[in-house]
Amino acid sequence: MSTDNSSKPAEASAGAASSNPGPSENGEDEKAAVYECNICLDTAHDAVVSMCGHLFCWPCLHQWLETRPQRQLCPVCKAGIGKDKVIPIYGRGNPNPQDPREKLPPRPSGQRPEPENTGGFPAFGFGDGGFQFSFGIGAFPFGIFTSSFNMSDNRPGPPQAGSPQHTEEQFLSRIFLWVAILFLFWLLIA
Amino acid sequence: MTNIAEARIRREFKEVVKSDEVAACNIKVELVNDTFNELRGEIAGPPDTPYAGGQFHLEIKIPETYPFNPPIVKFLTKIWHPNISSVTGAICLDILKDQWAAAMTLRTVLLSLQALLAAAEPDDPQDAVVAQQYKENHSIFEKTARHWTAVYAGGPKSYPDLDSKILSLKTMGFEEHQARAALSSKGWDLERATEYLIN
Ligand SMILES: [Zn+2]
Ligand SMILES: [Zn+2]
Repeated sequence: MSTDNSSKPAEASAGAASSNPGPSENGEDEKAAVYECNICLDTAHDAVVSMCGHLFCWPCLHQWLETRPQRQLCPVCKAGIGKDKVIPIYGRGNPNPQDPREKLPPRPSGQRPEPENTGGFPAFGFGDGGFQFSFGIGAFPFGIFTSSFNMSDNRPGPPQAGSPQHTEEQFLSRIFLWVAILFLFWLLIA
Repeated sequence: MTNIAEARIRREFKEVVKSDEVAACNIKVELVNDTFNELRGEIAGPPDTPYAGGQFHLEIKIPETYPFNPPIVKFLTKIWHPNISSVTGAICLDILKDQWAAAMTLRTVLLSLQALLAAAEPDDPQDAVVAQQYKENHSIFEKTARHWTAVYAGGPKSYPDLDSKILSLKTMGFEEHQARAALSSKGWDLERATEYLIN
């Protein structure tokens, strides 16, 4: 507010009507206003221009796009807009122009690095069709074994050897084993 | 308040103060405090509407995320309009909600509100009672809106018949604004308004 107050007497003395500055001052203002960011209304820095011709600071436009990720529209004319639909502007003053989109603001978080290669299955067996095939078949009966073991794990306590429950389970797992062997055999035949 | 919000309001404030609309006494903004996060706005009722001749005051609150989010605006002056609550002054206007864009300014907001006074949207109402009256009994709506403008916004005096109805409710012991609101929402039917106030 204090700056406003101090500028008022100057304006009043410059022109007869304080609300109407002199023609030269007005002209300067309008010249500068051409290069004003449409969001912060200050002279655009790290400037980008949209396809619809509207000028922004990249940090200002970036924040606007972040505020409404679902509705990416030009703040002036509501044409479609986006990071890849703006052109950076490089003036003469900057000796090392850098795309403001790469520089400011830092790219949004949420990038994830490539998972480290632990020498796992895909790299190991890739291109060796025979190996992959036998591995796939071999793994299948094991899956059946674990599921039959899991069944007994879910019971309250381990059944005692010789009890009817124990024999029944042994019988069941033997059936599973035979089913698995028969399946494996059938796969090999087919 | 973040720097961008305050810096922008400072610039906009100058813009509105310098604008032609201010010169024509159409719109106005004033600061409430030094932090630039609350302002008072004023718009003139558009000519050839029930709001003509009135001056309507607005409360404008600037959120920290301005201009990425719209200012929060409501009418301080009581007004009879389908898109403005006759009770709270809350406004239903798309640019103050999802149609806001960061390039809009206090000036465009005030001019949009003025346009809203000239062209109501009764199908997207804020005040259902007013909107219904607007659609079903438009002459009563206009009369009521003009009356409210005269009483609350300093518009030209009108309709002594409405004043006398309010007076008769006042003599029954009801508060004046309460009486006016009841009569307005009951189409100036004294009997129905009295019934409404008693219940
Ligand atoms: Zn900017
Ligand atoms: Zn545009």
